Amino acid sequence: MKRLLSSNGLWIGIALLALLIFPLIQRSQYYQHVMVMTMMAAVLASSWNILGGYAGYTSLGHAAFFGLGGYLVALAHNYFGWHPFVSTWFLGFVVLGVALVLGWISLRTHGSAFVVVTIAMVFIFRLVALNLSNITNGARGLTQPRPGWGGVPWSPEFIKVPFHYIMLILLCITIFASWRIRQSKFGLGLIAIREDEGKAEAVGINTMLYKVLAFGFSAYFMGVAGGIYSYFFTYIDPQFIFDVFTGVTMVLIAILGGRGTLWGPVLGAFIMEPLGNWVIGTFGGTQIHLTIFGGVLLVVMLFMPQGILPTLSDAIRQRKKAGMVKAPSP
Amino acid sequence: MLEVNQISKAFGGIKAVSGCSMSVERGSITGLIGPNGSGKTTLFNMITGFYPPDSGSILLNNQPIQNLLPSQICHRGIGRTFQITRLFWKMTVLENMIVPVRHTGWRTLFSQGVKKHEEERAMGLLDLVGLTQYSDEEALKLSFGQQKLVEFAAILMSDPDLILLDEPAGGVNPVMIEKIMGLVEDLNQQGKTFLVVEHNMRLVMELCQHIIVLDHGQKIAEGKPAAIQNNPIVLEAYLGSTNHAGA
Amino acid sequence: MTLPSTHLLIQTIILGLLVGGVYALMSSGLTLIFGVMRVINVAHGAFLILAAYSTYWLFQLTGLDPIISIALTAPLLFGLGWVIQRYILSRIENPERSSVIITFALAVTLEGLMGTFWKTTIRSVKPEYASEVLKFASYRFPVTRLAGFAAALLVLLILYLILQRTNLGRAIRATIQDRNAAQLVGVNVQMVSAVTFGIGIATAAAGGSLLSMIYSFNASSQTDWITRVLSVIVLGGMGSLPGAFVAAIILGVMEQLTAVVVTLYWSPIVFYLFLFLTLIFRPQGLMGEIVREKA
Repeated sequence: MKRLLSSNGLWIGIALLALLIFPLIQRSQYYQHVMVMTMMAAVLASSWNILGGYAGYTSLGHAAFFGLGGYLVALAHNYFGWHPFVSTWFLGFVVLGVALVLGWISLRTHGSAFVVVTIAMVFIFRLVALNLSNITNGARGLTQPRPGWGGVPWSPEFIKVPFHYIMLILLCITIFASWRIRQSKFGLGLIAIREDEGKAEAVGINTMLYKVLAFGFSAYFMGVAGGIYSYFFTYIDPQFIFDVFTGVTMVLIAILGGRGTLWGPVLGAFIMEPLGNWVIGTFGGTQIHLTIFGGVLLVVMLFMPQGILPTLSDAIRQRKKAGMVKAPSP
Repeated sequence: MLEVNQISKAFGGIKAVSGCSMSVERGSITGLIGPNGSGKTTLFNMITGFYPPDSGSILLNNQPIQNLLPSQICHRGIGRTFQITRLFWKMTVLENMIVPVRHTGWRTLFSQGVKKHEEERAMGLLDLVGLTQYSDEEALKLSFGQQKLVEFAAILMSDPDLILLDEPAGGVNPVMIEKIMGLVEDLNQQGKTFLVVEHNMRLVMELCQHIIVLDHGQKIAEGKPAAIQNNPIVLEAYLGSTNHAGA
Repeated sequence: MTLPSTHLLIQTIILGLLVGGVYALMSSGLTLIFGVMRVINVAHGAFLILAAYSTYWLFQLTGLDPIISIALTAPLLFGLGWVIQRYILSRIENPERSSVIITFALAVTLEGLMGTFWKTTIRSVKPEYASEVLKFASYRFPVTRLAGFAAALLVLLILYLILQRTNLGRAIRATIQDRNAAQLVGVNVQMVSAVTFGIGIATAAAGGSLLSMIYSFNASSQTDWITRVLSVIVLGGMGSLPGAFVAAIILGVMEQLTAVVVTLYWSPIVFYLFLFLTLIFRPQGLMGEIVREKA
């Protein structure tokens, strides 16, 4: 593992460098936009992975926290003049708090029941956002002023660049957090919960606490991402942002890349998001988009439930082992 | 040390345990025997918090524990192995050893330093059961007897005072049984208390200082091994129950 | 909140009962599928809409009455369901964890396909009696809802008879009670699963046909409907048919009452809240079994 880390380190360094200089090289607005969305997808999938991959609790409801972050930031901007690039990091903690409470209630359920509960969560959030129009402006949604700084809007050629960098920062932080969790005893505990929850409880792991914390941590990053998102599009409405489909997309990306691994969700995002954009661009409309995503998810779940990364690393490991004498077991 | 008072548990219409009372002396190796279906595993499950009793109380060092979570009971110093060995099969042996949590605290959870310290302790315990060379093997790959040893060693990581063993000799070869008995005796010398459910009578008679007999969810006898062996009530419980198909 | 008159209250309850019957029909298949296969078929809503579309096109092209078209849509969707279970769903190794995502994927795919072929236009079926209302004791009984209720009861009766009076039904009930035991006494559980899924989708077809004449819909309506039927079976107790019936009536009435007493826009919350709260605080619902955890 340690050997792998140093060669991994090289790859990470190269990738980071590439991402850093990307907006300077790629001037096209369209590609800059896609890159921002791709990094965001990676953030969402990686944070989902904390509960869904490590602990094995599939949540389809994280769009609730994504949307909540979006709304909080938009409201704070419109009412208090807080700049999203600053406020989103703090408002994320509000989302975290809400998630801890909701998690504490809903993590009493397991397996399929839990998935359904999280779906209900998104719908409840959507309905509330639609109906509390005094605050949320209901179906008409919330708009924010054109992105800029200190009252000066950014020029159209430049406008995507700050979002690229803030999303990159968020991505680095999310991956770092996921990595630290994975390395820690907490992370080992989450994996134990996934493997055998009863046994985990028996060896002293307070499974409820662990799960709620995982739920909360993942909600934080989603909330922050949501805050940036609402500013990026300068518009959000309940139908748009509280969508179970967003949650399913996160799941698909995480599973495709490798559920429960550190880099799998990132890999999945960098494949699926540009691909998805290309599909929409070529075939147009959301209906084909749905069909293809649904189809891909079906295929992945049925034939490659481990995802790309674990399947690949298994294949590599098999190649290495072939030819080595297996140690006799007594 | 452990007191069980008038415990009852019914599943649907079936009374698994009804009005059972027993106690375990500190520092003893106590055996818990009885025909199949007498409620031994159910009792274990209640002591370790997997489900609460319908009525009655369980006291550990005079503190009631019957409504605590299994993880809390583990923190209070009770460790337990399962009738069918339960390990985290896809984790390595070493990881299995490190998973148990002695007490939940922020530093414990997030510091890697803790993990290093636990690694030493884990290897030490693996050495005790003679399995250090398998520390990086997937738990799944070990033999049945070795898996039982790992489960046992992992329990010791949280340094429990009272250890519940559920059929430690089940399906295991005689050499391994001797090894397990030796471990239990050594640990008992060091002050650990054991409550052992077993069907292997030789092990029970040789190892246990005190025996409790259950039948149909109630205690029907207790005493020293020699007394139990000759107790007519006990004999009837075992022989009588083989007359009914399955009890 | 406005407190309505007693008359309005009773009228609302009547409407709730009528619509509850249809909800019961729609949910019956879902709860049956869960009982036999332990699969939560999140695609059920999509099948409802598929049937609704089929009924719509049959009506548009041949003028076939939606209730009569059940005789066509039900067998058709039975076949589709059977194929899907036999060749796709039976491949799932771990139904507890994966079935929701897989059926969700199925739902999304179906929604995408329907939306691609039939666009986002809102549809509904309007037979000649669409706006007729029967009046009885000063209460209004919209004919479409009355007919829907009657049709729903009829289909549920047929389902009941199949389950109680046929060998197939007995095999299904045995599998619901204890899958392993059923296998031991010679029940071919794979076949039972495939047939049950087929039956489940067939009842969805019946429900969908009725849906098309009572509600307006398009491909994306499937998400509204799946939450409705999920709430019904969860409240009723997953796997319990009588439970689904009772829950459907309760939720139907509550939905109508909320629409009238509070506002129409908040009425969906009835389903979401019941779904959320029941799963958390009383997961066995009204009539389901308690599933024992761990150890």
